[in-house]
Amino acid sequence: MNSNRLAVKFGGASGQGINTAGRMLTQSINRTGLYTFSTREYPSLIKGGIASYQVDVSNKEIFSSKRKYQILCTMSEASFHKYLPNLSENGVIIHDGEEMELTPEEEIHIQKNNLHIVYLHSEKIALENGGTEIMGNAVLLGFIWKLLKQDPQILVEEVLEMLSGKDIDTEAETKCLLAGYNHPLYREELSHGIQLPTSAGTHRSLLITGNEAIALGALAAGMRAFYGYPMTPATSIFKFLGDTAHQSKIVIKQAENEITAALMSMGSMYMGTRALTATSGGGFDLMIETISCCGMSETPLVVVLAQRIGSGTGVPTWTGSGDLYTAVKGGHGDFPRCVISVSDATSCFSLIQKAFNIAEKFQLPVILLSEKQIAESIYSVEKLPRVEKIDRNIVSSSKRYEITDSGISPRWIPTKGLQPYIHTSDEHTEDGHSTEEEVEVKAMSDKRLRKVLSLKNEIPEPTLYGNPSSETVFIGYGSTKNALLDTIQLNENISYLHFDYIYPLKADKVQHLLDDGKRVILLESNQDGQFGKLLAEETGIKLKEQYFKYDGRAFSVDDILDYLNR
Amino acid sequence: MALELNDYNSKYTPTWCPGCGNFGIHVALKKALMELNVHPSETFISFDIGCNGNGADTVGTYAFKTLHGRSIPVAIGAHLANRKFTVIADIGDGGCYHEGLDHIVNAIKSNYDITILIHNNMNFALTTGQATVTTPVGKKMYALPKGKPERDLDTNAFLMSLKPTFFAKGYSGDLPLLTEIIKKAIQHKGCSIVDISQLCPTYNKECNPEWFNNNIIKIDSLENYSNKSIDDANDLVKEMAKTKKIYTGIIYMNDSVPTFYDNLDSRKGIISEISEEVKEYNIKDLLKYCN
Repeated sequence: MNSNRLAVKFGGASGQGINTAGRMLTQSINRTGLYTFSTREYPSLIKGGIASYQVDVSNKEIFSSKRKYQILCTMSEASFHKYLPNLSENGVIIHDGEEMELTPEEEIHIQKNNLHIVYLHSEKIALENGGTEIMGNAVLLGFIWKLLKQDPQILVEEVLEMLSGKDIDTEAETKCLLAGYNHPLYREELSHGIQLPTSAGTHRSLLITGNEAIALGALAAGMRAFYGYPMTPATSIFKFLGDTAHQSKIVIKQAENEITAALMSMGSMYMGTRALTATSGGGFDLMIETISCCGMSETPLVVVLAQRIGSGTGVPTWTGSGDLYTAVKGGHGDFPRCVISVSDATSCFSLIQKAFNIAEKFQLPVILLSEKQIAESIYSVEKLPRVEKIDRNIVSSSKRYEITDSGISPRWIPTKGLQPYIHTSDEHTEDGHSTEEEVEVKAMSDKRLRKVLSLKNEIPEPTLYGNPSSETVFIGYGSTKNALLDTIQLNENISYLHFDYIYPLKADKVQHLLDDGKRVILLESNQDGQFGKLLAEETGIKLKEQYFKYDGRAFSVDDILDYLNR
Repeated sequence: MALELNDYNSKYTPTWCPGCGNFGIHVALKKALMELNVHPSETFISFDIGCNGNGADTVGTYAFKTLHGRSIPVAIGAHLANRKFTVIADIGDGGCYHEGLDHIVNAIKSNYDITILIHNNMNFALTTGQATVTTPVGKKMYALPKGKPERDLDTNAFLMSLKPTFFAKGYSGDLPLLTEIIKKAIQHKGCSIVDISQLCPTYNKECNPEWFNNNIIKIDSLENYSNKSIDDANDLVKEMAKTKKIYTGIIYMNDSVPTFYDNLDSRKGIISEISEEVKEYNIKDLLKYCN
């Protein structure tokens, strides 16, 4: 184990309050000046099943979960059995409940790894301390806080701050936190395998999910309407924007379906505002006709496609990036588009702003690819990046579809007194009249395609992270970056080439790496290697070494290290 | 300067068949806009795909020729972005009652302040005459030599069941009445539905002007009919189903239902339109809502 990281995992059934406990721990640790990365795993049901909340801690910024954790806190027997195997050596398991019968394998595992089990009946302790049953979580948190050897005052302050404004007996809550902290079952040897990294200071990071960062970035970029329809893992963008609409004053609307959400966005964008819609794969499929229409009519559109794994309904609450092809290829007819892939909270914040600028400037649909792992994980961010300048390229003219060298025609906001114009899904002439004339059809198609070339000139090259002279270079996009940045902290002999911009694709750097004789490994969270195929199609480069993961789990540091050690 | 009908025209001439009802509907719409003094540059018309959609080329207003069955949500998006515009959604009976049926249901429910003109020619015409829910049972249609093997949809009863705040029926051959109806529909604050029976001399030859003259009854000619009365409206709709007669005029209107936008909590008390609000927004005060 690397000494500058530690992880705590909560396990239980959905609805047992592990999210609250996880959030409280994340925020309290954040208050000590440390960085966290927290992620939730949960089944597609409301009550029951096995869910988890893992908090990884470091004194440096981190972006992913480690496979193993030093503290496991379980609230159900099923989660105890499921998560026990990945408790690291000398780790502690706090089980909320009566002593359990263990399998012979578990007994051996516990002995071999010197694991400690503490049975803490949290509800009972909470009731004894004047709390309610739900305050059992506070007892568990208090105990964990003691294992981490942190000042109980910090925990109490943070938890009370989180609960302020809620109808909760704060005195009882405090007593429960301290009852856990001072519980007689704690003994010094329990903390031997547990060492919280030394804090670098007292600053507090912003704790933010990818979806929240997208919502905030969209608002910063002047988005004034959001059209939603629930689908995991995109839904929390809708929630954040809805919960804050009283302040941001945006138009927020739950549409009757994703088809409508996309069409309403298109209508609003035509009329000159910035609108957004967000969905996952199935909903995106329904939006594709509208995306094609935006391509032909040159209407700006921004769609967030937060991916989960699998076709059909797939594995609805688990991560993956198997929708790259549909983002790049989906829709009938040839039309220009832009596909951008976010990777963490700060990139969510910045790239959604870029998406709006590109959509308006180049008058085309922009698809912002995200993943469940990015959408719902909680990143600790020192500070959000600087807000991008809004670039709309509004030019008043008389020919809406004027044929230009750049492919970009003048576009102006529908305004009383200005020349009215039509947007049309029919092939059309420069003034928007529909046409079937061969010369006109080709000329307008060529004009639209030139926008892709103009856009390609403007988008940045992929970024190389890590040691540039390393022999081994991984290539990827999306959440892959998170595991790789964390791996690079541990291994100086690798580097990682990351793509924010998927389409148009700028991939000269890949060729340079191959020319330099590097070992280049393609990483993808899908079965098909969709990015690799796109790369081959766009550049002719075929990457031979490939590592694909499509089990619904994001790449972890451990996956990468294991791969290198094969 | 007073507006003229030609101000609403583009330089292109229509491509419809001679005698097509779309001519009349377009003239009535343009006349209504002109008489209400709504400038072409403060009008947005969203078009369906189909014969009616081909009218998109002929208008001099802001417009969007969208996708089959999808003109309504595009109109709604445009309306929500800038309520200073008069927003019309033009759609055929195929697009409205087949491909995009959910949209009219939700538009009525949400009561957006837009006007929906249904060009009801009782068939899918641009694809050369397939049956729609309004095609009479037994009528020989494309791919259906013995007519459609299913029942009609009583579109009047269906629309009334959705509790529209404005529901009227017009006829493409009665320009003065249709113009008046469209004017009232535009003026109505809420979602106005105008189902317009239109001539289709190519694929619905049976329903020629003579047939319409024999089957249309003007609501204005009815004694003691109140279009403010939901009971009168429902009775009339039942009467239409029973007698197969078409009653033209305003069937029902209710000004007391708030529009979607009126009900939007986040926009209460704000005078500007969201199309005027695109600028950098300071998110500082929202950070506390994270996580």
